[in-house]
Amino acid sequence: MEEDIPQKKDEEIVKLVQSGETEAFGNLINRYEDKIKRYARKFLSDSEDINDVLQDIFIKAYKNIQSFDIKRRFSPWFYRIAHNELINNLKKKNAKTLPLFDLDVFLPQYSHKDNLEQQIDQKGTQKNINNCLDKLEFKYREPIILYYFENLNYKEIADVIQIPVSTVGVRIKRAKNIMKSILNKTGYIHE
Amino acid sequence: MNNQEEKNSIKDKILNKIKSGEIKTKPKLYFILKTVLVVLGSLVVGIFILFLISFISFALRASGLWFLPNFGFHGFGIFLGSLPWVLIITAILLIIVLEIAVKRFAFIYRKPVLYSLLAIVLIVFFGSLIIDQTPFHSKLFLKAREGKLPLAGPMYRDFGMPEFRNVHRGVVLEITENGFIMETPRSQKLTIIIDSNTKLAPDFEIKEDDEIVVFGERVNDAINALNVRKVNDNLELFPSSRRPKPLPPHILNQSKENLK
Repeated sequence: MEEDIPQKKDEEIVKLVQSGETEAFGNLINRYEDKIKRYARKFLSDSEDINDVLQDIFIKAYKNIQSFDIKRRFSPWFYRIAHNELINNLKKKNAKTLPLFDLDVFLPQYSHKDNLEQQIDQKGTQKNINNCLDKLEFKYREPIILYYFENLNYKEIADVIQIPVSTVGVRIKRAKNIMKSILNKTGYIHE
Repeated sequence: MNNQEEKNSIKDKILNKIKSGEIKTKPKLYFILKTVLVVLGSLVVGIFILFLISFISFALRASGLWFLPNFGFHGFGIFLGSLPWVLIITAILLIIVLEIAVKRFAFIYRKPVLYSLLAIVLIVFFGSLIIDQTPFHSKLFLKAREGKLPLAGPMYRDFGMPEFRNVHRGVVLEITENGFIMETPRSQKLTIIIDSNTKLAPDFEIKEDDEIVVFGERVNDAINALNVRKVNDNLELFPSSRRPKPLPPHILNQSKENLK
């Protein structure tokens, strides 16, 4: 059984954990530790904080593993837990996170769908994003990280942040425009 | 600590906690119950909002406030100032609570908040219209008046028949020389004086048992009416003994047949 696990999908491993094979949870930690660390690093700077949050995220995921529906994708569910833990941590530090109410969640928005062109420019954009990510507001930073670094689609990002799908598109587009103007000012653009 | 050691340390720490039983998974039943509670809670809040909005509509008509905007700018000013703001703000807050409660479901949060809010408002609006067509609040109101409604009684007595200085609803008991005497839902008898200052519709005619709304300041038990309007909204605010209802035609015909 142990040898088969690396070939299994996340959802299959979760099914094993749900059925009582708790050791299998270690495989999920192996798969997601680096990803979540990278995700957390975009919001937190203290490495001790990052490790504490990382542990809390895995513990929370384990405690709530029975609520996961194995017909759905595991990564958005897991990133949702990570998102909540990060928000809680930032709130404790009184950092500026998401406002209680945002007009772009309230009103219908023109949805910018994923398309081939966007996928092509993904690699170049990743390099540019890294150069000015910390200058972005939290509400723009998170969807852009989930899209360009964690490879979630708009619907999955909507599930992580629990905002309308069209708002995800709008925030990514606005974030790209903001970054473009920052990079233009600094004269640092990767074409 | 290098990267690999750090990785193993986090993984080992968590797995050790799992093995020692320090952290346990919550049972599936916990999540099912949580969802059921949210759904039931949302339903209860939704039904209460329906009750509240239809009650506000009932209270406005029962007190006569609903008809104030028809009495001109002055009437509209009094209407705004006399609205049951406590109930209205409670209803708005409950709508926000309901929106927050249902926002945990993917089919709600994936769409703009405006859509779900509009859906809630429309459901509440049309639901209240349907309740308004039934004698639901009138029956509870009459029970409250007789002191037979223990829980919601005070609410019906305080908000369902509030007293205002300038607007009064009631049923005509007796026509007098210079006006009429009317009975309010609080069983108070008021003398209405109609004089040259009273604005009446050209075809206005009044008789006993008519339900009316009087606009004018009350001094003791008398009102110098500035405006009087007949009301025909089927709100049964007075006991059936006060307002005998004609039998429906099919029952009337059957009674006649039986007499033969």
